[in-house]
Amino acid sequence: MRPLLDKELREVASGRALWTMLLILCPLAGYSFFQAVSLYGEASAAAGDSPVLGSGLSPLDGVLVPTFGGLYLAATLLFPFVAIRTLGREKESGALALLVQLPYRVPAFIVAKMTAIFAAWLAAILCAASALVVWSAMGGHLYLPETLDLLIGHVLYGLLVGAIALFSASISDSAATAAIITLAFTIGSWVLDFALAGQPGMLGWISQLSLTQTLRPFEQGLLSVGLLLGTVAAICGFAALAAVWLHPGVRVGTKIARSAACLTIAAAVVGLCTQLGRSVDVSEDRRNSFPAADQKALAELHEPLMIVVRFVPEDPRYADLRRNVLAKLERVMPRVTIQLATSGQSMLGSASEEAYGEVEYSYGGHSDKSRSTSHREILPLIYALAGRPIPQPIAGEDYPGYPLLANASPALAWFLGGLPLLIVIAWWRSRRPPQIPSQLVKNGGPP
Amino acid sequence: MQVTGLAKRYGDQRALTDISFPVNAGEVLGLIGPNGAGKTTLMQAIAGTIATDDGQILWRGTSLPLPRRREFLFYLPDGVRPWEDQYVARVTELFAAIYGRSQAFLAQTIHALGLGPVLRKRIVELSKGYARRLLLALALLTPQPLLLMDEPFDGFDLRQTRDIMNVLREVAGAGRTLVLAIHQLRDAARVCDRFVLLAEGRVRGVGTLAQLQAQAGKPAADLEDVFLALT
Repeated sequence: MRPLLDKELREVASGRALWTMLLILCPLAGYSFFQAVSLYGEASAAAGDSPVLGSGLSPLDGVLVPTFGGLYLAATLLFPFVAIRTLGREKESGALALLVQLPYRVPAFIVAKMTAIFAAWLAAILCAASALVVWSAMGGHLYLPETLDLLIGHVLYGLLVGAIALFSASISDSAATAAIITLAFTIGSWVLDFALAGQPGMLGWISQLSLTQTLRPFEQGLLSVGLLLGTVAAICGFAALAAVWLHPGVRVGTKIARSAACLTIAAAVVGLCTQLGRSVDVSEDRRNSFPAADQKALAELHEPLMIVVRFVPEDPRYADLRRNVLAKLERVMPRVTIQLATSGQSMLGSASEEAYGEVEYSYGGHSDKSRSTSHREILPLIYALAGRPIPQPIAGEDYPGYPLLANASPALAWFLGGLPLLIVIAWWRSRRPPQIPSQLVKNGGPP
Repeated sequence: MQVTGLAKRYGDQRALTDISFPVNAGEVLGLIGPNGAGKTTLMQAIAGTIATDDGQILWRGTSLPLPRRREFLFYLPDGVRPWEDQYVARVTELFAAIYGRSQAFLAQTIHALGLGPVLRKRIVELSKGYARRLLLALALLTPQPLLLMDEPFDGFDLRQTRDIMNVLREVAGAGRTLVLAIHQLRDAARVCDRFVLLAEGRVRGVGTLAQLQAQAGKPAADLEDVFLALT
């Protein structure tokens, strides 16, 4: 396997697509970082007189997520061309006919190509992640769990795009066609986000299939086991489809049958993963959780909590309720069931009902209703149903915030000068001819 | 190897129709025919790099399914320039490493095909002749007992063609079986032991030159005249 892996890594490194992507990523990530730090500094200056404003300054939201937004653009628009090259060039040049005759099974080729794709994406992440080093050097604060969580999200997103690109290359005759198919997936996700998000019923469910949705929880400091495993399953699914379509000597009918089997298995696994509700709040400001005292008290309520919501899904108040209360309750309490009593109805039709906007909570044989979307009103209600006292807040648990006034100009020097120079040097070194063993040179020459 | 009833269609067009012929161990078999006769399609079908509509490949009397073809035969296509951005030395070393060939064997192969001067060149920079030499070197680095080569002399001048013929005769003499698709009948007559005549996707004759002469009823004819008579 080692010679095959070396060959795939060299193929990726020898192509202009990788180095061009890395060079374009420098100003993308660099300017994003520069802007983010500048705006963060302005907000920090305004928060100088107000500790309350300062406590809202989180480096995750203010610096890291905007900086890695450049990486997201590179993954969506540029990385497909790098990944497609791992198979597209061989199909176009005819080398595929030689490749499939090598003594390796087809999955081994896909594993080697995905490894090369991962290595290329890792190089891109390292370029963007150099901003973390610059931020630290400026005196900026980094919280390791949420930072790693963000990186994991981007690694998964890039690999998913790479797997889609590899599949596209396996079913296309040319790299151009493969690029169009891949961009249909990636840019099509933007359409799903803008046009269908928040829509009721099937449309809303379809919008959840957007590739961008895989990144959102990670950008919010949430490590969702179901999302992580589901994304890995999707990556493996596309890689498996690429393996099915790779060999030119297999009949199309056989490939279609095998693809159907792959899709069925992948869909089942992804479906199972969506049922895994387990997620961990790794954000430093605990934005995805209630205050620590409430988290502790709610975790001790073991009986089922039934919540009947009388909102339609597209109602913004339902989104607030979902984000501020329901999702947190699902994470902390062991047995929570949420039911939408207005499913299938429109907002206009439902709003006229007197009970619309009510949320009924039932626990331990008791129930109560509320129209609030804030945990400050709802949690006391739940404690009352459970016959528990309202817990006292734990001192010192408040997120302090990390305001920072910093000059971001040195970052521009790195991203527009130093880093591109390093990339060019690496590119030049990768193109140097190999050392030829003397034995081969000595015996060379025309017969 | 025995090719039995091989057929391939592209839509309504029949590229290959009921192709059957034997390949004897250690021989140099020539697939000869004009452009469009189906030589390349036949080689691809035997190697399994295209799907077929009918027929099978037998190896020592046993059916050879697609996944096992590469254990016994290696197909060298025509007109490909693989891994263009790689250096010649890297690609030859890749094949040597994959197939467990020693440095000495690799050196011998490079010397036999005259690739020494271009080891530090990228494949995209090679002339047509050197690109063909590289492909031949890759084929010779493989261990499979049967080699299928599509137009092995394409891109060579007369002297170079004779040199490559000598190399292939040495390879055949060492025990490997060669199946060569050649459209230049004079080249085929010099290097091949037996011939399969193809025209319009069908076999028109199989055998040695003498057997084909008898089939054509022209005992003194050369291969070109025999081919014209039978097709």
